[in-house]
Amino acid sequence: MKTTVVGSYPKIPDPPAPGRWRSSVEKLQRGEITREDLHRIEDEVTAEVLHEQADAGVDLLTDGQIRWDDGFTYFARGLAGFTINGLQRYFDTNVYYRQPVAAAEIAWRGPITVADYQFAASHSTRPVKPVVTGPFTLAVLSKDEFYGTLDQFVMALAASLNKELRALAAAGATVIQVDEPGLLTRRDQFPLFRRASEALWDGITATRALYTYFGHLDGLYPALLDLPVDVIGVDFVAGSRNWEILRRARFTKALGAGLLDSRNTRLESSDEIAAQCRKAAEIAPADTLVIGPSAGLEFLPRRVARRKLEALVSGVRLANGGAA
Amino acid sequence: MTPSATPTAVATLLPTTTVGSFPKPPYLLEARRKVARKQMAAADLQALERRATEDWIRRQEELDIDILVDGEMYRGDMVAFFADQMDGFEIAGLVRSYGNRYYPKPVVVKPVGRRGPLTVDWYNFAQGLTPRPVKGMLTGPYTIAEWSFNEYYPSRRELVMELARAIHDEAVDLERAGARYIQIDEPAIHTRPDEDFDLAVEAMEVVTRGLKSYTITHVCYGDVPKIYPAMLRLAVNQIDLALKNDDFALLETFRSPRFTKDIGLGVLDAHSHRAETPEEVVDGIRRTLDVIPAKQIQVSPDCGLKTRTIDETMAKLASMVEGTRRVRKELTA
Repeated sequence: MKTTVVGSYPKIPDPPAPGRWRSSVEKLQRGEITREDLHRIEDEVTAEVLHEQADAGVDLLTDGQIRWDDGFTYFARGLAGFTINGLQRYFDTNVYYRQPVAAAEIAWRGPITVADYQFAASHSTRPVKPVVTGPFTLAVLSKDEFYGTLDQFVMALAASLNKELRALAAAGATVIQVDEPGLLTRRDQFPLFRRASEALWDGITATRALYTYFGHLDGLYPALLDLPVDVIGVDFVAGSRNWEILRRARFTKALGAGLLDSRNTRLESSDEIAAQCRKAAEIAPADTLVIGPSAGLEFLPRRVARRKLEALVSGVRLANGGAA
Repeated sequence: MTPSATPTAVATLLPTTTVGSFPKPPYLLEARRKVARKQMAAADLQALERRATEDWIRRQEELDIDILVDGEMYRGDMVAFFADQMDGFEIAGLVRSYGNRYYPKPVVVKPVGRRGPLTVDWYNFAQGLTPRPVKGMLTGPYTIAEWSFNEYYPSRRELVMELARAIHDEAVDLERAGARYIQIDEPAIHTRPDEDFDLAVEAMEVVTRGLKSYTITHVCYGDVPKIYPAMLRLAVNQIDLALKNDDFALLETFRSPRFTKDIGLGVLDAHSHRAETPEEVVDGIRRTLDVIPAKQIQVSPDCGLKTRTIDETMAKLASMVEGTRRVRKELTA
């Protein structure tokens, strides 16, 4: 069994350590530094969180999405066709995002995340996977003032983001993760989701990872197994029912098992995690399991996120038959 | 509980008010940083908080706002302010809400409860400065629970209901101190509309049970249509909502079924730097009058204004008061 993270990582350390990223954004707003200065700080913080994940012993890392305000505006600003509206709650969290509005034809203007991926890969001692917000989630959390139907909007995004995935693969990404928590709020739209997935992953030879989180897969499983992906990420914390749902059919993909609660500070013990890993191994073969948090770790203070990753790694070591 | 039977201490049509927080002046932000670094005594900070509170009372009087707030100069965060003073909480650390906005997120580690009054001293101080009514300001049990980590209670329900009893006791103390308006902020109330709305309604019943004051709940962001008309079951006189930030789109939702509570009508976007014009405020109120009768409306910003500058806040509020005055004139002409 390997370990991974799902995406975001806290951008600032716990006080009294200075929150450099946060104070730099304030300085930029006051005109005291330039955007380039802020990018340099974001590079430094990205390198720092890559080291922190590697130090904790995680196998497959992300760049922590330090440069993202949220998973929606980062892509909406990169694509042609979007404007940005006011704040909206991000699912059932106390995190907010500015809502993208499709005001014209959506088009891929050029790489959005490729430079970020290259920076992370060259500043990490361990493998890094880029993360892209999926076309379905991007569509359901945006406002459509151009296409008129969810179908057209999602398919336009899938075609544009396919170019992003191709660019990431060309830049050397061997695993690419696409996040689609939005699917769990619109289960009735699975036929559209399937068509969008085919367009999205078309021509991608890297390992294709689809991550769902914030809920269970009832009504979607085992249909999900037909999607053109190699790994399916499943949240076993918010979606504790997934333990039962995934037993309904033989799991034929690699399982990204989200076992660690990324939305509560309560620290799991290594034994607790090891026991859950063994349970996950009853669903999918142990050598195909990638164990991680239930979602991005930015819901937690930095110190807690770090401790959770350490617990995760020692729990997985225990389950693999080693010493914690 | 019909709107006409509710206590209306302000006789004006379309009374103006605000949601709660105002920007802190630079000297207060600096003092708070010094206290955090232990370079200033807490008592010295409190003197500055009182000065800043008095300044905001005067500014609201100058603007001619009808129902005042104390501006929350003494609060860092609307949940942490309560958690810090109650039993059962610790602060876990800083968590980001959006952009570069962070808040100190509490964690419940033991049974929660009130050790004594939480907001009464500040209410008394602010009300002592002005003949105009000042609102008592509370954060609701659902929001305190939802915006804290819970390491102690086996379920959200148990935590929410225990907090509801504590906030009720606080509301009773505010009423005894003379508060005619009590606002219970529940910006998180629609976080899980399907799963939890009945719980939020039950908790609000506990909070406002037996109160004679005019009660308000402020709800912002998230999917308001999803909790409509269920939110009309909340045991309060008024629901205060953000209308401006989505250009009054919610009015379509409120056409049917009818909006039976009073509404705190948000006419200013709390998260834009631009000051709305009086004409925009007039337009927003007029559009609302098509859906909700004037006697059910109080005019307010969308949300607390603490993230704006003092100048932005004053410019926005001046337009709100002027725009409201123009509509009042039309209605009484």
